Amino acid sequence: MFRRVLRTGLGQSLLIRGLGTRSGNSSLGWDGNVSEIKKKIRSLMPGEPHNFLYDTKHLPPEHSDVVIVGGGVVGLSVAYWLKKLEKRRDAIRVLVVERDQTYSRASTGLSVGGIRQQFSVPQNVQLSLFSIDFLRNINEHLAVVDAPPLDLQFNPSGYLLLASEEGAAILESNVKMQRQEGAKICLMSPEQLQKKFPWINTEGVALASYGLENEGWFDPWSLLQGLRRKVQSMGVFLCQGEVTRFVTSSNRMRTSSGEEVNLRRIYEVHVKMDNSLEYQPVECAIVINAAGAWSGQVAELAGIGKGPPGTLQGTKLPVEPRKRYVYMWHCPQGPGLETPLVTDTNGVYFRREGLGNNYVGGRSPTEEEEPDPADLEVDHDFFQNKVWPHLAQRVPAFEGLKVRSAWAGYYDYNTFDQNGVVGPHPLLVNMYFATGFSGHGLQHALGVGRAVAEMLLNGHFQTIDLSPFLFSRFYLEEKVLEQNII
Amino acid sequence: MLKIIIPSIMLIPMTWLSKNTMMWINPTIHSLMIALMSLSYLNKLDITNQNHSLKFASDPLTSPLLILTTWLLPLMIMASQHHLSKETEIRKKTYISLLILLQISLIMTFTATEMIMFYILFEATLIPTLIIITRWGNQTERMKAGLYFLFYTLAGSLPLLIALIYLQNSLGSMNFLLFPYNKHMLNSTWSNSLLWIACAMAFMIKLPMYGLHLWLPKAHVEAPIAGSMVLAAILLKLGGYGMMRISQLLEPMTNYMAYPFILLSLWGMIMTSSICLRQTDLKSLIAYSSVSHMALVIVAILIQTPWSFMGATALMIAHGLTSSLLFCLANSNYERTHSRTMLLARGLQMTLPLMSTWWILSSLTNLALPPTINLVGELFIILSTFSWSNFTIILTGLNMLITALYTLFMLITTQRGKPPYHISNITPTFTRENSLMALHIIPLLLLTLNPKIILGNLY
Repeated sequence: MFRRVLRTGLGQSLLIRGLGTRSGNSSLGWDGNVSEIKKKIRSLMPGEPHNFLYDTKHLPPEHSDVVIVGGGVVGLSVAYWLKKLEKRRDAIRVLVVERDQTYSRASTGLSVGGIRQQFSVPQNVQLSLFSIDFLRNINEHLAVVDAPPLDLQFNPSGYLLLASEEGAAILESNVKMQRQEGAKICLMSPEQLQKKFPWINTEGVALASYGLENEGWFDPWSLLQGLRRKVQSMGVFLCQGEVTRFVTSSNRMRTSSGEEVNLRRIYEVHVKMDNSLEYQPVECAIVINAAGAWSGQVAELAGIGKGPPGTLQGTKLPVEPRKRYVYMWHCPQGPGLETPLVTDTNGVYFRREGLGNNYVGGRSPTEEEEPDPADLEVDHDFFQNKVWPHLAQRVPAFEGLKVRSAWAGYYDYNTFDQNGVVGPHPLLVNMYFATGFSGHGLQHALGVGRAVAEMLLNGHFQTIDLSPFLFSRFYLEEKVLEQNII
Repeated sequence: MLKIIIPSIMLIPMTWLSKNTMMWINPTIHSLMIALMSLSYLNKLDITNQNHSLKFASDPLTSPLLILTTWLLPLMIMASQHHLSKETEIRKKTYISLLILLQISLIMTFTATEMIMFYILFEATLIPTLIIITRWGNQTERMKAGLYFLFYTLAGSLPLLIALIYLQNSLGSMNFLLFPYNKHMLNSTWSNSLLWIACAMAFMIKLPMYGLHLWLPKAHVEAPIAGSMVLAAILLKLGGYGMMRISQLLEPMTNYMAYPFILLSLWGMIMTSSICLRQTDLKSLIAYSSVSHMALVIVAILIQTPWSFMGATALMIAHGLTSSLLFCLANSNYERTHSRTMLLARGLQMTLPLMSTWWILSSLTNLALPPTINLVGELFIILSTFSWSNFTIILTGLNMLITALYTLFMLITTQRGKPPYHISNITPTFTRENSLMALHIIPLLLLTLNPKIILGNLY
């Protein structure tokens, strides 16, 4: 009875470990016991972490106002803007849960790192403009006392999108829209193209659009580290763990038209530690799904999509991981330092990497040749058969290239319309999405973070209106198709 | 007296032997009946003192506090119903029994005739409160909160025990009824100064005075709703009541020994009010507002004029009801959004209009709107401190201004503005919650009509 009280007392579901073996003896020796007692006495001092029963330093706190699932660049950006836009200091408690602290499979670290404004949806252009403005002033935004300034290694070389006869009209209208939004893009005919970039073979190219300013590529890893550092200094709690369960409460309510609807809200998130069964229930008011390629799984855990298909309850979050290969090669006769990120008419792209005649590039596979996203193994035959021939055709110097290395990463691919999902879910009222960017999450992360923070704190989008990206479009079947997917 | 004590003691077997379906209803209704009984029998203002027995007596200072105690128990039980709903039956019964035990100790504390008995029961109230805070509080910080609560109070009370025993030895009896006839003057020696401090410290910590108030925000914020209610409404007043009683023995040293405490309280009330303006956690804001109101009570008790004693008593009762009501309102927010941050529960006027009525009424009483008894208390205290020293009007006036500011800030942040998206599915107000708020506000408003019953001994 006493043991039962000990096991279940003092805390709702805190597991008790280390209180002694079944026979009642402690397994530590004399020195171990003495150091345990010293630790307990030290924990009574004000300012020390107060673990009275056992060590809880690795666990997330028992309560947090906002829990952000996913610690990549999107999740950290949401955390940063939440702390930046809160009106009083420490007004809101934010917890970022990241499953893999080495970021070995996260899309952020494996990204090619490009940023461009050449999109077909105006909101995407606005997001990229916002992000580049942030990145240019990054050391004002992400400054931490006593820490060295960030060097993003931004190469402002621009993007060059090539279009054939069929795509030329769409390209022109897109460029007109981008110019209206404030991006500086110029259209080039094949002759101008040949004159500016002599290494290009303009066969099959009818029109090209070239970004003159605010486009290029940067180092995503340093952005991630900079955000981590800044966000920790602002008081956000970063913890390692995997979200395994959402505990929800539901409420039957009636809409204004009279139909009954079941609104749910998450009030507890179970965060499981690595390599153990231990989990911590975190009581929360709001959950943000920024889990990248695995957002679909997290949404299913929360019960989104459990219902008859065709209804709002049955609408799943259509984000799934898609594997993309990136190859790095060396070509001494290749294009020079001014090379932009060139996207060919058939989807092959490449950019310069560093100053030693290295290039990275790849291609999005078609629907039939989609690789299996179970692991991150690279298929080199894909390069041989599908990428190299087109590269060699567009840039004759690339006939003699030598592949140095390759890696694979995930796109958090939105199978519905390849654009991001931002904002709250209509039925699960306190889950906000910031995912599904299908390959341009990195460049939109900062703008999306601000949008989600504004939605949460103010109730509506303020700086950039991302209402076309709400979840309800999946149910209402309103596609916001992005045509310029690389 | 018997008709209050015996039913209160019998509430415990009634809770344990109730059927599970009647487990909440039985204690609530019966404790409400006990409260009504205490109303009718303990308020005879033409008599200066009512002796219930050899050991228990009540006078116009005691009876309002006693009625507040008995009134609060059904309210506490009503408020705890939701957050305990997921516990096992035995745990629920234990919780209710702890509340009842606390109630019994408090009834005996307030009616005790002997100072030593008062002290023993004063300490005895710590134990159920500690158990409630550390076992049923919401977060890990509750262990630290319990520790602070226990040790702050104990550190003040142990010197008090020694002082009381010394006084018992030198005076022969510590009966309250004999205090006014005490001719024994405390002359100004060092040991008498220490005696004065030993007597006063425990009550200063309990009230709490500004420099010793650290336990209060922790304990209030981490305690479950019933714990917060009883702490704010009654346990703080134990300090005021004890100080009023013991100051009859500490003449004439109080005239100069009280200066540091008066200064600290005058400054502290402005400090804690200003802290309220920057709080983001709703419960923390209400806790600091308690410190600010109690600082006024400390100043009043220490300057020892008839008007200030009347004001102190009135403010204690008024603040008890108002603070307890504010904690209930904050708890109703917390149960819906699972967060105490004010930012996340905005615009409630649109979604829960009746609850916003209670919010508005409680905010108006908190900022001492005329003609509520909060104003009566504060006015008496401000008037008496002004006559004691003209300068204090600046400080007390500033405090009233800042109190109004933070109360309105709390009201407007939680009620007005655009509701955030995730407020759309909060459950509507339960009848239980509405009746809880009503049962708080109705005595508060009715007392406006007849405030002389809470003006205490010196009316």
